[in-house]
Amino acid sequence: MAATLCAKLLPKQGWLPLSVSVRHGSKAVTRHKRPQHILKQKLLAVTEYIPPKRDAPPDAYPSKIKREEECTGLMLLIKEDLKKVFQDHKMIAVVQNNNSNAEDMLTLRHRLHKHSISVKFFPNQVMRLFLSDSVYSSMAPLFIGPTVLFVSKEPKVREMLSTLRASPHMTLLGACIDNTLLSVQGVVSYSKLPSMTVVQGELVSGLTMLTSHTVSVLQRHPGHLSALLQQYVKQQSAEDASEAKTESAT
Amino acid sequence: MVSVVKAAVGRLMGVCRTHCLQKGFSHSHLKILSAGMKTYEIPPDYSNVVLPAKPKLKFLNKVPNLKKAKKEMKKLRDIQGPAKAANTFTVGQYAIVAMGGGYLHWGHFEMMRLTINRKMDARTTFARWRVNAPYKPITRKGLGQRMGGGKGAIDHYVTPVRYGRLIVELGGKVELGEVEPVLTEVAKKLPFPAKVMSRESLEAFQKAQADMEQNNQNPWTFKRIALGNMLGIRRVLSPFDLHNHGRFTGKFHIPGRV
Repeated sequence: MAATLCAKLLPKQGWLPLSVSVRHGSKAVTRHKRPQHILKQKLLAVTEYIPPKRDAPPDAYPSKIKREEECTGLMLLIKEDLKKVFQDHKMIAVVQNNNSNAEDMLTLRHRLHKHSISVKFFPNQVMRLFLSDSVYSSMAPLFIGPTVLFVSKEPKVREMLSTLRASPHMTLLGACIDNTLLSVQGVVSYSKLPSMTVVQGELVSGLTMLTSHTVSVLQRHPGHLSALLQQYVKQQSAEDASEAKTESAT
Repeated sequence: MVSVVKAAVGRLMGVCRTHCLQKGFSHSHLKILSAGMKTYEIPPDYSNVVLPAKPKLKFLNKVPNLKKAKKEMKKLRDIQGPAKAANTFTVGQYAIVAMGGGYLHWGHFEMMRLTINRKMDARTTFARWRVNAPYKPITRKGLGQRMGGGKGAIDHYVTPVRYGRLIVELGGKVELGEVEPVLTEVAKKLPFPAKVMSRESLEAFQKAQADMEQNNQNPWTFKRIALGNMLGIRRVLSPFDLHNHGRFTGKFHIPGRV
């Protein structure tokens, strides 16, 4: 319509007028987006939405309010199980398993079962819950990552260490034996300790060493005893003489 | 003799063991034991959802049942601007919402009806129309006719749809994930841009727009300048722009405008 009206006004072909009106030409509702007047375009550009400034993204810093985790029923049940485990078993070792298959786990369990050590799995979340309430709260830093518990009623440390040496993917982190926390070195030294009877025997022998020695000396020939005593006296006199010399020198 | 038997048994055992190991080999690498805390999601409760007797979309007529059909003016303003009617949920949970203006004709209705009726499970879902059957007559002149000679004859009927109107509503004992693919398939074929929304997502959408208006840091808004006729801008704005604060142009909605 504009072209037909302005056909006579345009002196030559291809000459665009200086000002273009967009208030007519097409209807208000078109299938294409109508060309907007430059002033309207400017208005829309000026009145754009400016969002509120944020110093840091909302997830950059952790929230100050600590969200309390809801304890599900399942977690409470597992916690009860854990309590029983800690009550019944004397030795509780924490082991980290990296990349172990079902086959490896099976062989490990079989080897440990021979020494009546059982393997227990517990979720770390429940573990931390239980430990925070109980006496064993210092064990909490051990339970990070994929951990397994080796529990047994009798502390069979040597057999456990030998089995762990055989499986490369299991790493011992720590143990709680007879309510005492032990690190890896502590566990190794515990395993090197002699058994109870041996220790008792050593203690008894240590206590009775002097008396037994005297008895043995008396049991021998009295001449032997007299020779020993003479040598002792000589040594004593030699020591006294050396002491007197040093005193006179100073 | 005994040694031969023993050797044979040993070989058999060896074969069995290797076979078991091979089997175990393929299985053992699949299963890796771990103990994480699994939290179970509670499935949604559909006890108070009533399914109607006729769950499917009803057939809509091509032509309204009129004694005498009158020719109507074009009146394109029925496409312009936001929808005032049928822009909220009534019975269903999930709907197709129009994100622009346009006309729906009988072909669109049939496509929607057939696709949704075929793809939805009638035992657990129901669907309802939120638009009327075509009622607006569209005239066409014959092919090759010159201008003039009166208005053309009625060719077909359409339903005008504005931005924000619900087209089809779905409800029942289903979650959004089950219903969304069906509805997106239909929404893509409509003549205007459309989105699948649930009750919550529509609320969130409207809330987001309201929040944008609330926390806009720009002191200059289209509404303020147009209402006050600052810089004589009403010369290049229409009354429609005044109503809709520059968020619409013709049948299009401009997103991100406040």
